[in-house]
Amino acid sequence: MFRTRFHRREFLTRSSLIALAPSVPVFLARAASAAETSYDGRILVVIQLSGGNDGINTVVPYTDEGYAKHRDKLRLPTEQLIKVNDQVGLHPSLRPMADLLEDGRLAIVQGVGYPNPNRSHDVSMAIWHTARMDRDEHKTFGWLGRAMDERPVPADGAPHAVLLGDDSPPVALRGRRSTSVALANLQDLKLASRPTLPDHRLAAAPGQDQNQDDDLAAFARRAALDAYATADLIENVTQNVANDRSAYPATQLAERLKSVAQLIKANFGTPVYYAIQPGYDTHAVQLPTHARLLRELAGALKAFLDDLRTARLDDRVLVLCFSEFGRRVQEDASLGTDHGTAGPVFLAGPRVAAGMVGPTPSLIDLEDGDLKAAIDFRQVYATILHQWLGITSPGVLTNSFELLPIFNA
Amino acid sequence: MDSWEPWQPSADEPWDLRRVVHLHRRAAFAATWKEIRRDLDDGPHAAIDRLLKGDSRVEGVPDDFEKMAGVIGDAAVGLGNVNRLKAWWFYRMLFTPDPLGERLTLMWHNHFATSNVKIEDAALMRRQNAVLRTCARAPFGEMLRRMAKDPALLLWLDAEVNRKEHPNENLAREIMELFTLGVGNYTENDIKEVARALTGHTVKDGEFRHAARDHDDGEKTIFQQTGRWSGDDVVRLLLEHPATARRLAFRICEQFMGEGNVDQAALDELANGLRARELDIGWAAATVLHSAAFFSERNLRNRVLAPVEYLVGALCALEVFDPPPSTLLLAERSANLGQDLFYPPNVFGWPGGRAWLTSRAIIGRTNFATALVAGALHHPSHPFDAAALAEGHGASEVADQRTFFSQLLLGRANPPDGLSHDDTLDRYVASLLASPEAQLA
Repeated sequence: MFRTRFHRREFLTRSSLIALAPSVPVFLARAASAAETSYDGRILVVIQLSGGNDGINTVVPYTDEGYAKHRDKLRLPTEQLIKVNDQVGLHPSLRPMADLLEDGRLAIVQGVGYPNPNRSHDVSMAIWHTARMDRDEHKTFGWLGRAMDERPVPADGAPHAVLLGDDSPPVALRGRRSTSVALANLQDLKLASRPTLPDHRLAAAPGQDQNQDDDLAAFARRAALDAYATADLIENVTQNVANDRSAYPATQLAERLKSVAQLIKANFGTPVYYAIQPGYDTHAVQLPTHARLLRELAGALKAFLDDLRTARLDDRVLVLCFSEFGRRVQEDASLGTDHGTAGPVFLAGPRVAAGMVGPTPSLIDLEDGDLKAAIDFRQVYATILHQWLGITSPGVLTNSFELLPIFNA
Repeated sequence: MDSWEPWQPSADEPWDLRRVVHLHRRAAFAATWKEIRRDLDDGPHAAIDRLLKGDSRVEGVPDDFEKMAGVIGDAAVGLGNVNRLKAWWFYRMLFTPDPLGERLTLMWHNHFATSNVKIEDAALMRRQNAVLRTCARAPFGEMLRRMAKDPALLLWLDAEVNRKEHPNENLAREIMELFTLGVGNYTENDIKEVARALTGHTVKDGEFRHAARDHDDGEKTIFQQTGRWSGDDVVRLLLEHPATARRLAFRICEQFMGEGNVDQAALDELANGLRARELDIGWAAATVLHSAAFFSERNLRNRVLAPVEYLVGALCALEVFDPPPSTLLLAERSANLGQDLFYPPNVFGWPGGRAWLTSRAIIGRTNFATALVAGALHHPSHPFDAAALAEGHGASEVADQRTFFSQLLLGRANPPDGLSHDDTLDRYVASLLASPEAQLA
């Protein structure tokens, strides 16, 4: 069912979410790239490696005598590693990411963790999501949600953050005012037929929302309003990408990053995208699973950045890959590894200072059989907030953290 | 039990259409018009007791329901096809005489959230599902004893390799954090010791096996009690622990009570009642459903319907039974709305509540409503005849028909204001189903 442009504009200008925006169709009016001079056009894409990635077999300290000592069945042969320097080599599945590294588009921050590491998936993920150590704060707001609270509503009424996938947006994206949505693919955001509830019925009465955040009926109306605004935006976006010629591997993560690229190419206003790659909880028979996961990750990441480079949009994009914890140094009895502590974080994009950041964690000098974290993950966050998103308000991370040399000066 | 006083209808809070619809949308999969009228006439006690006994549904229920369900389930397992197993469960939910039983089974599926993403075995998933259903109302001990040896659950938590040399702490942690005590009610040492007690529990050829050779039969100290505890002892210690009752009370309330309507005192009272009755889940469900709190004004329409509840509820209320909709398509729709049966997102299950109402889900629910009236949930397509349903229940005038659907779906005569009266009746029904109000129960 086609709607006239008039109908769409009428809808956009009438709905409260969009009321803050200029009444011209912003996608058409907004300049395609303002990134050089402003933080506004910049985009952060987060890839969450769920389950606890085995960082030791990802960025392998092959000359550390502890590697052979603790990894008997899981040790990757030195000759198969992609050597980065005389200390570490990348897992052989990471060839596309090694290419990014050589090409100056990948930084690897080593040994990232936090004090008093927690080995529960749930709790550790909540710590990374919220950047708060206090459990009472784990169900409140996420670090990106708080960061986006500092931003105005994106000009075209797009949400601040989009999760590509089947899950709900993670706590990391939850903000007090900022908005986040989940979508599996762009097709999921099209309405077969618009229901006849007029928009003013969906929108809460003026002044109602601010004071009644807990009113479920108001929440449901606002959620419906957001949903239909999103549907209208997507209808517009997908018309622009019909002649897409990029080459992504046939994996779920690549599909999701491709959708992100489509939204970016269509100048969608969302500054934060989020994708989750599950499966890293490798307690048993780890080698084949881990190789597949890393191959999917590296292939998808490279295709995504190349696609955006072709479109001359990659200058606006930074990708962050993290996992809730690394794994135990000592392998377990079932050809796998148990929950550990510190691990590597990847940052990718043409603006990063390519190479290794931070000391390589020792596999001999351990704490309780786990790696010692040399870098606090909140240093990574602080650097991204300050130097990539231009958000310096102290409330986002509470304390100040020493920034890392992640970006080219 | 101050918080769970039984309800008596009053002039302020009468047993009316709203509350009958509330009961069925909250505790079942909505109800047909005849069932609503029947319960309105018979009063709340009869209505609630029918739900608890498992014979509340009359329309659409085939005489040989269990036999039919068995044939469909066997076929799914025979083909090893989990999509057909999802369809089988939708068949059960649509045609069962016992919707509360299916709702509780869903609750347990979320509680013991086991995903076929790792099991990859339709037979084991169905077997687990059968345990969840059989023990749905039982004292929790029966459930926990069986789940502690359920092959799918054990595979999900990597119990294949669980020997005394290498106890599986993951298994111990999840059993305590998710299935019984909840986080914060045990120490890291308890995890280690419970893991030792569970050594030897494993799965061989799709069956539970206790390998005595691999069991660590030394002394363990669990919750400050020392003994040569076995896996069965762990189950007993967990059942005795007060935190287990609290977690079960939380699950029941999450299922049947609206947002923010259960305070700590109410939760504790329900937990105490459970402890005094061997954690009898049927008692807890009956207590909540009979309570004044359940029927109180502030408990009406303040819980977000889960996707399955929304989909099946819409079809049941609208009597979309014959010809039956494609349950394969329903399973797909449900996954699209965020609830992929047999594939909970992680060990914590589905987040539920407001998290159900993502943009994508709302668009998906809206598209479902459109598909339902267009007949696109059937193979071949079979459009919904709104006028025929309304006329069958005595509403022949156009205005009466609109009122009828608002009463049937929302429990009130006035539709959400602003619904277009220029629409066809079918479109009107779709808009009602898609309305924000219809996402709540």
